[in-house]
Amino acid sequence: MANPKIPEFKADWKEGEEGRWGMAIDMDLCTGCQACVAACSMENNVPFVGEEMSGYGRQMAWLRVERLWEGEYPEVKMTPFQPVMCQQCGSAPCEPVCPVFATVHSQVEQLNLQVYNRCVGTRYCANNCPYVVRVFNWADYDRPEPLPNQFNPDVTVRRRGVMEKCTFCIQRIHKAEDQAKSEGREVVDGEVAPACAQACPADAIVFGRMDDPESRVSKLSKDGRAVHLLEELGTNPRVAYLKGGSNGNLG
Amino acid sequence: MTNKLSRRDFLKLASLGAATSAVLTGCGPASRYVTREPYTKMPEYNYNGQSTYFATTCRECAAGCGLVVRTMQGRALKAEGNKHNPVNLGKTCARGQATLHGMYNPDRVQSPLKQARGNNPTDTDWDTAISIVAEALNNPADTAFLMGLAPDHLFDLVTDLCKAIGAPAPIRYGALGMFEARATLGEASRAVFARPDMLFFDIANADTVISFGANFLETWVSPVAYTRGYSQMRRGPGGKRGRLIQIEPRLSQTAAKADEWLPGAPGSEGLVAVALGKLYAEKKFGSAPTAFEAADINLAAEASGIPLEKLEHLADLLAEAEHPLVIPGGATLAQENGLETAKAILTLNALLDNPGKPGGVYFTPANPLSNKYQRAATANEMAEFIGKMNSGAIKTLFVHGVNPVFELPKSLGFEAALAKVGQVISFATFPDETAMLADYILPDHHGLESWGYQRVVTGTGQSMVSGAQPSVAPFYNTRATADVLLAAATKAGGKAAAALPFKDEVEFIQDKVSVLVGAEGGFYNAADLPAFWALFQQFGGWWKNDSSLGVPPQTANAISKELKVSAAKPEGEGEFHLFVYPSPILAEAGANKPWLQETPDPTTTVMWNSWIEINPVTAEELGVEDDDVVTVESAFGVVEVTVYKYPAIRPDVVAIPFGQGHTAYGRYAENRGVNPANLFGTTTNGAGDLAFAGMKVKIQKTGKKRPLSRLESKLGVYGIGMSEEH
Repeated sequence: MANPKIPEFKADWKEGEEGRWGMAIDMDLCTGCQACVAACSMENNVPFVGEEMSGYGRQMAWLRVERLWEGEYPEVKMTPFQPVMCQQCGSAPCEPVCPVFATVHSQVEQLNLQVYNRCVGTRYCANNCPYVVRVFNWADYDRPEPLPNQFNPDVTVRRRGVMEKCTFCIQRIHKAEDQAKSEGREVVDGEVAPACAQACPADAIVFGRMDDPESRVSKLSKDGRAVHLLEELGTNPRVAYLKGGSNGNLG
Repeated sequence: MTNKLSRRDFLKLASLGAATSAVLTGCGPASRYVTREPYTKMPEYNYNGQSTYFATTCRECAAGCGLVVRTMQGRALKAEGNKHNPVNLGKTCARGQATLHGMYNPDRVQSPLKQARGNNPTDTDWDTAISIVAEALNNPADTAFLMGLAPDHLFDLVTDLCKAIGAPAPIRYGALGMFEARATLGEASRAVFARPDMLFFDIANADTVISFGANFLETWVSPVAYTRGYSQMRRGPGGKRGRLIQIEPRLSQTAAKADEWLPGAPGSEGLVAVALGKLYAEKKFGSAPTAFEAADINLAAEASGIPLEKLEHLADLLAEAEHPLVIPGGATLAQENGLETAKAILTLNALLDNPGKPGGVYFTPANPLSNKYQRAATANEMAEFIGKMNSGAIKTLFVHGVNPVFELPKSLGFEAALAKVGQVISFATFPDETAMLADYILPDHHGLESWGYQRVVTGTGQSMVSGAQPSVAPFYNTRATADVLLAAATKAGGKAAAALPFKDEVEFIQDKVSVLVGAEGGFYNAADLPAFWALFQQFGGWWKNDSSLGVPPQTANAISKELKVSAAKPEGEGEFHLFVYPSPILAEAGANKPWLQETPDPTTTVMWNSWIEINPVTAEELGVEDDDVVTVESAFGVVEVTVYKYPAIRPDVVAIPFGQGHTAYGRYAENRGVNPANLFGTTTNGAGDLAFAGMKVKIQKTGKKRPLSRLESKLGVYGIGMSEEH
C-alpha cells in the first residue's frame, strides 16, 4: 500500500466546462413575487424559524429575492429583483474547506451536494461561500402537529447543527432520470423543473441540461444579456442571470 | 379533447389521467372521499412509493387558479399549478404554494362548536347543528347569509335556497374586492362601455402600459394571469419589449418592475388621465374630443406633482405606441372622486382606440354557468346590511368564507352590530375574529378537502369554470357547508326541501355542471354526465378552447361625452395621506400560514409583522428612525406601528400594508402587527365603494422601539453601523 491515492472530493473541473444541469434567470421578467421562495420551502421541508430568529438572520429559505435601492427620492430606483440560490459552482469554494467531506461535488450530476449525516456543523462552507446561500440549522425548529403531514418523503428532514442549501431539487432530477432510463432514453429538455422554476408565474426561471446545446437553458446562458454572479472569482457558477430590463431604458 | 395535441402533450395528459381517473371514474357516493389509512392498509389506488395527483382549485383568493395536489398515502404533500387551467397554466403565487399550511395548520376548528360568543364554548354534534340550521331556515324572513368571494358553488346553492324559501339573497364581501374597488370599475364600465362588467386588460399584447396604481403583479384581481401577461409583454412580438409606467404614491412591487415610476399625489389620477388624453389627442389628431377638451394640463401637473414635461413625455409614448393601454388600479378608484377617475381612465382607453383590440380592454367572457357578474358588496351595501343587523331585523346570520370583523373597516361598526343579531352561525374553517363572536362554529372542510367549482371572472379569454375536488379525506370532524345546508333543508321540509332535492353536495354540483354535458367548443366533450364528471375532475374544470372575450361598443360615443374630473377632497385632518395596500404576500387571509409570515415582503423584506413606510426625509423631520414606534391617528381610530424608512414614497404619504393585526385566527396570526382598516372612514365614492385611499392621518412619536425582522441587511441599506474607518 505505497502512496494510497487520497480522494479530493472536489470538482474535477476544467476551464470552460458547462456542467450538466443549469439555470437561467431573466431579471427583466422576475417580479419579486416570492412564489419560488414559498415553492422551494414546501418542496424541500424547509422549516420556519419565527419572528425573533428571522430577525437575527437565521431564516432557513434556500433562496432569497434580492433587491437594492439606488438614488434618493424622487430619483430613486429599485434594482431588478434577483433570486439567489446555491449557484452550484463548478469550482466551489465551499467544497475544499469541509473537514468531514459533507460538502462534496457529485461526479454524476455535477452538482454540489450536502451530505446531511456527515455534517458536523463547523460552518466553514457557509463562511467560504461568496454567495451567502448556505443556511444553518441553529435549532430544531418546532413544526407542531399536524404540519409534518406535509413533509415531502423524497427529501430528508434536517435537524439542529446541520448545514443545508439548494440542491437544484435533486430528488426531481433523479426521478426524471430514472423514468428516462426505464424508457431507454435521455431526459428531454423541459422534463424536469425544480420547484422554483415550476411555480414561477413570470416564467423567469428556466432549468435544464447545460450539456445539450439545444436546450432552452443553454441558449439563454449564452445570450448576450447573461452574466454570472461574482464571475471574477472563477467559481464557474451554473446559474446565469439575464440582466438589463426594468430600470431606466425609457424613450 | 383539443384537436391540436402534440405527442408530448398527449403523454402528459395520459399520465395525469392515469393518476386521477383510476380513482375517479365510476365514483359512487361511497367512494367520494379518499380515506386516510394506516400504512399497512393503503388506499387501493396507491402504488407503493408513488404519488397520486388531484386537480382542484386554489381557494387562497377568488381568481380560480387550477392546482394539482401531490398526495401520497392519503397525505397532501405539495400544491402545484395545473398546466391545463387557462388562468394560471401551471403556475402559482406564493399564497397558492402555502395553501397546505392552512389545511395542516394546528389551529383549525376541529369539530362543531357551541361557541356561545366566547363565553364558555362547548363541543356539539352535527345532528344538533343541523337542527339549529333547519330551524333558522323555517324563519326565512329573519335569516341572512354573508358569504365570501369563493367558492361559487356554495354561493349558488345558498342563492337557490334563499330564493325558494323567500329569504333575502346572500350578500358577498371580501377585503380584496374593497381594495380593488371592483364596483367602481363596473360602474365606470357601464357609463363608458354600456355594460357593468369586470374587464379584461390584455397586458400581454400591449406595447405601452400606463398603470394608475393597479398592483397586477401582487394581488389585483388575477395576479398569476396578469404576471404571465406582463412577462409576455416584456417579450413582445419580434423581440419588441413592451413598456410599463406606474403612477402611484409609493413604489409598489409592481412599480418596481416598471420602466418608470411617477409618484402622483393620491386623488389626482383622474386629472392626470384627462390631461394625458388631451395631450395625446392634440399630438395625434390636432385637437381633443369633447371628453378631453376641458382638461387643465397645468392643474394636473400641479395637483399630481408630476412635472409638465413628464406628462408630455407620457403622451408622446402613447402616441408612438401601436398598442397603448391604461389600467385603473384599486386605490386610485378608492377616492371620493373614484368613479369619475375610473370613467376618465376607461375613456382614455377609448380615445387610444384599444377596446376590443389586441393589447386593449375587453369584456370578460360570459361564464358557462351564469352570465351575471357577481361582484363583492360595496361599503354602502355593507353599511345598509349592518343597518339591518342593528335594527334587529336579522335573527340568524350565517357567515361563510369571509371574516367581516377583520376585513371590514371598523368604522362601519360590524362588530357592534353583531351583538344585535339573535344568532350568529359561522362556517369558518379557522377560529377567526368573526367565528369567535359566533354562537355556533360549524366548520367547513378546508378548500383542499372540498368539492366545488369557481367561475373564473377574468385573467383568461376562455370562458371557464374551475373545478374542485378533495385531494385528501377531511382531516378533522368538519362537514361541507353545502351538505349541512342540504341536510337542514331536508329537515326543514317544505319549500327548502323541494328546492334542493339533492342527496349531497356532489349531486348538487353535478346538477349545476350538467348543462355543460355536450356543450360546444369545450376542452373535452362527453356524452353523458358520469363521463363528463370524470373528465371535469381529471382536468380540474371545464373551459372552451377558443377565447370569447367581449368587444366593447364603438368608442366614438364614449369620447364625445364630457368628463367632469376634479382633485379628490381628502377625509379627515392631518399632515399625511394614508395609503393602505394589501400585503402582496399575506393578502386578506394569509396571516395564519407560518411560511407566508416568514416570506419576506418583496419591497421592504420585512417578515412576521406590520410596518409604516415613511419617506426618509419626512422621518428625519418627525425625528423618527427605523424601528421606532409611532401612533397613526385618523378621525376613526388609532394604531401603533413600527417605522420603516422607505426610500420610494412621497414625503406627504405614509403607507401601511393590510393583512396583519389579527386578534384571533390561530397562533401564527394572533397579536401580530396592526390592522390599518381600523383607521378607515366612511366616505364612499359615486359607486358606493369606500374612499379608503382618501384618508388623512396624524403621526406622533411614542418613544418606544420595536425592531422589525427583515431579510435585508441594514448595514448595506442605510450605512447603519458603517463607521468612518471602513
